[in-house]
Order: sequence, then structure tokens, then C-alpha cells
Amino acid sequence: MIEGARWRKWVFFYVPMALFLVFLLFPFYWMVITSVRPDGELYRPWNAINYNPFWTWKPTWVHVRYLFEETLFASWLWNTTFIALVSTAISLVCGVFAGYALSRLTFPFAGSLGTAIFITYLVPQTLLFIPLAEIIRNYRLGDTPWSLILTYPTFLIPFCTWLMMGYFKAVPKELEECARIDGASRWQAMLYIVIPVAIPGILSAGIFAFTLSWNEFIYALVFLSSPEQKTVPVGVTSELIRGDVFFWGPLMAGALLGSIPVAIAYSFFVEHYVAGLTGSVKG
Amino acid sequence: MTTVTRRKVLKSGAAVVGGMAGILATGRPPAFAQGTTVHWLRWNDFVPASDQLLRKELLPAAEKALGIKINFETVNGNDLQPRITSAIQSGSGPDIIMLFNNHPQIYSESVIDMSDLASSVSKAEDGYYDLCKSNTVDGQKFIALPWTIVGAMIAYRKSWFDEVGSPTFPDTWEKYREVGKKLKANGRPIGQTLGHTFGDAPTFSYPYLWSWGGSEIEKDGKTVNINKKEVIDSVKFMTAFWKEAHDEGGLAWDDTNNNRAFLSQTISATLNGASIYIEALRNPDKYITEKNAQLKTDIQHSPLPKGPAGQFAMHTFFSHVIPNYSKNQAGAKELLKWIHTKANYEPWFVSQKGFATPPTHAWEKHKLWDEDKVMAPFKVAGLLGQTPGYPLPSSGKKPAEVLTKYIITDMYAKAVQGMTAEDAVKWAEGELKKIYT
Amino acid sequence: MAIAETRVYLPQAPRPRLRLLEDERWLALVLLVPTLVLLGMFIAYPFVRGILLSVTNSRVGVPGEFVGLANFYKIFNDGIFRTSVYNTFVYTGVTTVFKLALGLWLAMLLNRNFRGKAFTRAFILLPFIIPTVLSTFAWKWMFDPTFSVLNWLLYHLGLITGRINWLGDPDLAMISIIIVNIWRGVPFFAISLLAGLQTISPELSEAAAIDGAKPWQRFWHITWPLLLPVTMVVVLFSVIQTFADFQIVYVMTGGGPANATHLFATYAYQIGIGTGLLSEGAAISLAMFPILFLVVIIQLLYIRRVEVR
Repeated sequence: MIEGARWRKWVFFYVPMALFLVFLLFPFYWMVITSVRPDGELYRPWNAINYNPFWTWKPTWVHVRYLFEETLFASWLWNTTFIALVSTAISLVCGVFAGYALSRLTFPFAGSLGTAIFITYLVPQTLLFIPLAEIIRNYRLGDTPWSLILTYPTFLIPFCTWLMMGYFKAVPKELEECARIDGASRWQAMLYIVIPVAIPGILSAGIFAFTLSWNEFIYALVFLSSPEQKTVPVGVTSELIRGDVFFWGPLMAGALLGSIPVAIAYSFFVEHYVAGLTGSVKG
Repeated sequence: MTTVTRRKVLKSGAAVVGGMAGILATGRPPAFAQGTTVHWLRWNDFVPASDQLLRKELLPAAEKALGIKINFETVNGNDLQPRITSAIQSGSGPDIIMLFNNHPQIYSESVIDMSDLASSVSKAEDGYYDLCKSNTVDGQKFIALPWTIVGAMIAYRKSWFDEVGSPTFPDTWEKYREVGKKLKANGRPIGQTLGHTFGDAPTFSYPYLWSWGGSEIEKDGKTVNINKKEVIDSVKFMTAFWKEAHDEGGLAWDDTNNNRAFLSQTISATLNGASIYIEALRNPDKYITEKNAQLKTDIQHSPLPKGPAGQFAMHTFFSHVIPNYSKNQAGAKELLKWIHTKANYEPWFVSQKGFATPPTHAWEKHKLWDEDKVMAPFKVAGLLGQTPGYPLPSSGKKPAEVLTKYIITDMYAKAVQGMTAEDAVKWAEGELKKIYT
Repeated sequence: MAIAETRVYLPQAPRPRLRLLEDERWLALVLLVPTLVLLGMFIAYPFVRGILLSVTNSRVGVPGEFVGLANFYKIFNDGIFRTSVYNTFVYTGVTTVFKLALGLWLAMLLNRNFRGKAFTRAFILLPFIIPTVLSTFAWKWMFDPTFSVLNWLLYHLGLITGRINWLGDPDLAMISIIIVNIWRGVPFFAISLLAGLQTISPELSEAAAIDGAKPWQRFWHITWPLLLPVTMVVVLFSVIQTFADFQIVYVMTGGGPANATHLFATYAYQIGIGTGLLSEGAAISLAMFPILFLVVIIQLLYIRRVEVR
């Protein structure tokens, strides 16, 4: 705690806090400004006299319009959201079940399986995507959202499992034992007793998984090819970096708008997100 | 799901719309199943007007004429290679893919033979330039169909060069360096990328190397003899030239940075395709010089200066391949044939305003070249360029690997960043030996 | 955690079919099957195939034949590969240290009560939430050699006279990607460490203060040791992610200038997909795995030791 004179409060709290906030949030401000700045202003070199980075007097919607009219941005938003939602659902189901099994049941090889699942988290995606491309081809999933929906869980499940294990470990055994004494089967005890208690954890894991899916890039880059199928990160990178001169405006608009769905989901569940992070590290 | 619906619609409607139109337009019945969709992958054209033309006019006309549906996709040029690699690996992807320079050689086992198409185009248009054949021929057959050449010239600010006493563009590297020194002292350096770009960096570093007498490989195709005095001299010269006359941010530039720098008037000269000038033409009032003239009136083009061993050039070459996995090979071939007929290629060529030089001799006579004197040097781009792997007669797999690994460009980049010339050349020698021996 | 009232549905008796699930082992199997199937099909199997790929000389479209360890030999002699390894270690090391230090500082700042605390906590996480590719573009634009707002700022603050070549100079380019990674990672560290801090009873600190301990001593002898378990877990997670990082370098520098910022993942991508030399790309990726494994084992052992203590 910072006792003492007011100046100490300023030096040790307000100033550092302000600096952190500026450091962390300035790029977003920059994205907003660039998205609405007309092209003429965008391309002034930094040592030109009329370079005015922090404000524009002539905001314009032309970049945003370009984004929605000339590119398939709306499709990308939809694709990414759909893929993220389904992958998250799959990963949550698998993660909850696996987390429960590994943390509350005893069975042979429990330890090794837990470690094995953790190890898969270490396998780099750059190694996997080439063999995966073949598998995707064999199942004829290339260029469809399902190529991602089935591969995203590979890095979401280990994380969800690990997170859920932490939450499940904190549920007292007595709860289940009471239920079982009352006649419930293991399955019912799990479904109706333990899982509801861990709902905050499930929400956290879900939000985390959702944001990680949105963030994924390599698999989407390699497995999808048609423009209508692309996800936002891939679409923005491949279609807004054009050889021509003026595309930073739509690019920043795309970056901003592409972040909004995730930010919205996050804002609804921020408590759980934070709780999830904290729960995971405690567990 | 949607494909089935489309197919149904096409099947029923095709007889009336597609089939009839196709028959009428081409004078012969369409030779493949109705409802074919051909997926064509190209780069985002540096001249956007051409992509617009394709999307809005040419391709719809092709769809009607050929009775197929066309799925036209454009991506960032740097993404073409990753796309074709993952497409070949996963066994599905675009049916026609555009590639740069000698890249088709890397994929020669995975693409179909284009010799029949190539020979018909060549016959109709007075033959291909040598550099086209060098890039697309593997042994005896064409593995890619040449599309166009983008000439690389130095775009420069005439008035600024006049001011430092160089009314004609310097014709040797020494003279260029002297002029560049004066320009940089005035705050108007030369701009050049030495980064990993598919266009501007190789089209500079390769001819630069050749003009000093160096080459990545000897004529026999086996001996790597790059570690010699002439090359070390060229590297030393480049290092000094860079510091004295260039915008040192160029190490991080991609193919668009020099465009933007030139158009925002922070550099005085740069090696580029004609896209800078074309952009200045497109928006004449957006680019005004410090003397209040339109920038387009102050831009001129010149080939690269001479070195001790002569004057060389390398231009970016474009071609199309059809991969083996494609299920629509017939449709794809028809589309390429269609777009290469004079009536269809010409509007595209005109929309490029000289940025693209067609791959055959016949187009040299086109009146577009007479319209704008500033574009005159680009007319003969096809005649003058060499290909990676020079002096080998054909640019095959190994030069393609050298190109995609940016060995030549990196040799200069490393020296400019501080490595001694001898070490940089030695490094390049090692890398080249790994590929060629 | 408040335990809400739960309802227990009481069937008459477990039906015969379900009796199997009474056995812990069967239940575990059923619960784990979906996970094992997915991970088996899409990680284990491709992993094995990746290993097989790395010991052949496959190129794109050409299956190739077995060549043993030739690819590994080739990449170990590859100067660019060695640079990538070096870069990856430097990148991971430097960013982790800074993320930890700054994250801890921010966590301690957030641990106080002030107006708008909830609001701030929510906004702080934005860099971590936003898809990396998108935010990296914003940074790339901020670092642009010709149009950089940072250069403008530093120039007008009188700190520089010429231009800083953020992405064109090899060392500065490295610094640039490190900055972006730190920017992205600090919120994660901050929030996690904040959670850890909140489990430390303030009475401990107050007791020490009464005993005359200065703030720094209180931190070092009380806060830090209690925070260590949380710290180690967060650091572990972060190291794994940072080691395999791809997107930031891909977007900002593409591995340049002249391969100066290549990491394992980006170099593997360039060789495998860019030049079509799939087996070499696989070898590079595979080379990452044992090193990462080692780093993780060391950290896990350390965590175990700390926990036992």
C-alpha cells in the first residue's frame, strides 16, 4: 500500500497506471482513427508538416463501406463466429468430461493420460498442418468450415480439460457422496451435482476457447481457400493487403470490426473470464 | 448443398442460356459437363482497374460463352505459393493458379501439360519471348501457360534529377551513385527494397549481380563460382551505395512500400513496375509536387544502369498452371484459351496501361505503346530480360529454389546490414552449393 | 463458492445398462473417449506422420524416399535455422521477463481499491482478447518506416533527430516484435497475478509492517514466495505459447529483414509452404519439440519443488 503524502500516490499509482493504460489501449485508438481517416491524410509521411496523428477533422465512412461492399467481410465474420461457437461447444463437452474423469475418478493410467493430453498442447501447429492437410483431403473436408471445427478442438481441449480439472478438484467429494447415498448413479451425480457447481468454470473455459478460436490463424490459412469460406484473420490478411496503394484504412476498419464480436462476447462474461484465469492458475 | 442447387439450375437453364450462348459464341458445342465451376486464383493486381474489368465484364462474358461458372479469387501475391503448396498437399483447391517467375518449376510434377495451349497461342501471336519459355518449359513440355511480363524500370523524378545536374538518367552504377549522393543530401534518397519480396527485390538484385559479371551458377549448371572478385566488388559497392544514396528503411520494404514512398514524395527514384506512374495517372490531382505540378508530369522511366559486365534486366513473369488434382481441367483449359484470344486479352492488356507486357511478339505493334511516351521503355521488356539461373538456358527447379530462398537478395541485404562483403559472398556461395551440388 | 440447492432425481434403481457406468473405470473410458478420439485423429496421427515426413525428402507433390536424418543434418548446418533458434530463445526469454515484471507491477496497481476498478480490469484485457493478427496490423502501421506515428512522437518530444527504422534494422525489428508480444501478454500476466495476489491475506503484510519491514522487504519475503506457484504456472503457459509464436512475426516482418526475425514456426512455414520443401519444414518444426519439451519439464519440476515447499 502506498502511505503518506499525496505526491506519492501520484508517482506510484496514477502515473504508472496511466502509462499502462496508454500503452495497452493506444493501438485501439489508433485503429479507430485510421479507420475513419480519409486517404489523403493517411499517407502523409511522419515528418511532413501537416502530419496530425491523433485526430482527424474529416472522418469518413468510406473505408468501412469498402470493407462491407468490396470484400466478403460479413461472410468472414459469420464464418469465424460459427466455427468458434461449434468448436467451443465440442471442446467444452470433451473438456468437461475429460476434466471430470481425470480429477475425480480413479482408474489405471489416469496420470499418464493426463500428461499425454498436456503433451499434445506442446506439439507445434507448424508441424501438424502438413500431415493434417492430407487427412483433411482424405475426409474431403478441405475448404469447408468443418476442417477447422474438427481441428480447433485439438488445442482447445487440452486447455479446457486443464481448466476444468482445477475447478472440479475444488468441488468437495462429499457432495457427490451424498447424492450417491441418496441413490443417484455416478453419471447422474456428475451431470446434476458436480457440473452445475462448476458452471462458472465452464463459462470461463467457454469464453477462453471462443477467443482462442477467433485468434487461430495457421490452420485457417492452410485449410481454407475460397474467399467465402475464410475466417476474419485470414480474410483480412489475404484480401486487404493488396498490391495497390491505399488499403490501410479498410485494413484497420477490418481489424477493429473483426475484434468486436469477441469483445462483445467477452464483455458479457468478463467476470467469468477473469475468474477463469484466476481459477486456472490456482488449480 | 449449394453446388447441387446450382448444378440443377444450370442443368435446366443451361440448355437455353449457357448452351445456346456458348454454341453461338464459339461456334461449336461446349465439350464438357454443364455446371462446371472453375476456380481461378490470381494475385491482387497492382493495377486494380484490371481486376475490376475481369470481375465485372470479362469473366461474366466468359461464363456466358463457355457455359461454366467462374469462381475468381485474388490474394496477396506473397500468398500464392503457400496456397498452391497446401492445395497440392490437400488434393483440392483452385483449378487455375497464377504463379510468378520460375515458380512453376517447383511444382512441375503436380501440374498438367500445357504444351497444346501454349503452342496455339504462340502460333497466333508471333511466338513467345525467350524468357517466357525459360520460365515455363520443363524439358520438352510447357508446364505453365505464359500470361504476361511486368517490366521493371526505374521510375524517377525528372525535375529532381535535373536539379542535381543529371538531365539524362545516369547510365552506369558509378554515375547513379554520384547522383544519388546529391539527391540524398537534399533529403530525396533513392528507394529500393532488399526484403523478401517477389517483385522489386529480385528484379533488382539479380540484374545488379549480372551487370558486375557475377551469376549464381556457371553455364555447365554444376559449378558455383560466385565467390570471385567481381561479385565481392559489387557487394562492396552496394554497401557504400546504400548508405550514401538510399533510404535505409528499404530493408523492411515489401513491394508496396516503394510505391507509397515515391507517391508521398519521400524518395526520388525506385525500381518498380509501372504501377507508380499509373497510380499518378489515375488520381492526377491527389499527387501534386512541391512546385504545384501534377506528379505524373514529373515521372520518367529508365532501365537499370550498366555495370562492368553490361546492362541487364529481370522482369517479373506471370503464368498460369492447372494442377493435377483439378477435376475441371477441361473447363480450366477452355477458360485460359478463351482469355488468351485477342478479342478478350486486349481489353485486359489495355486496362493495364502498359504495366503488363504480353508474352508474345505480336503485341509490340499495339497502339497502346504509342499513346504515352513515358511508358515507352516497357514495350520491349520481353525482349531484354533474363531469367533467374542466367546463364543457364532454362530457369529450372534449382534456380527456382534459389529464388524462393532469396539467396541473391539476402547476400546484398546482409552486407548492407553490416556483414563484410567477403563473408556475405561466402555465405551465398555456401547456400548456392547446397542447392546446386 | 456458494453451493446452490441441488435437486437429486431418484430413479427406482439404476437400470442394468447403466450399471456398467458405475464402475469408475468404464465411466472414465466413456468420458474420455471423445477427447481421445479427437486428439488421436488430429494430433497423434498427424504427429507421427510429421515425423515420417521429416525423415524423407518429400517436396510438394512428390512423396520422396527415406533419407534418415539428412534433413536434420541439413538444417543444423543452415545459418538461418541457427538464427531462428537463437531468435526464438531471445524472444521467449526477453518477453517473458518483461511480461512478468510489468504484469506484476500492473497487478499490484490493480490490487488497490480505486474508482473505476472493474472498468479498468475489463479494458486491460483487450490486447489479449483481440485476434493477434488484427492488432499486429495496427502495430505494423505504427512502426511503418514512412508513416510511423511513433517516430512522429519521439521526434516531437525531441528524443530523436532522424528516423527510427523500426522494421528495417535487424535489431530494431527484433525489438519491435518483442514490444508487440509484451503488449499482448502483459494483461494475461497481470490478471492472473492479480488473482494470486488476492489470495494473499493482507494481514500478513500488515503484521510485517508493524514489525518495521519496509515495502520492498515485505514484497520480497512475503508476497513473492506466496505468489510463486501462480507465477510459475502463468510463466509456463506463456513460455509454451511464445516459443511457438507465429502470427506476430508473420504479420510484422515476415521473418525479415533478411531473416533476422525468423522464429522456429515462421521459418518452418517459409521453408515448408513457401518453398515447398515439406520435409525440411517438418524437420524444423520437429526440432522445436524436444527443446520445448525440455523447457517445460524443467519448469514443471521447479513448480513441483515449489509446491512441496
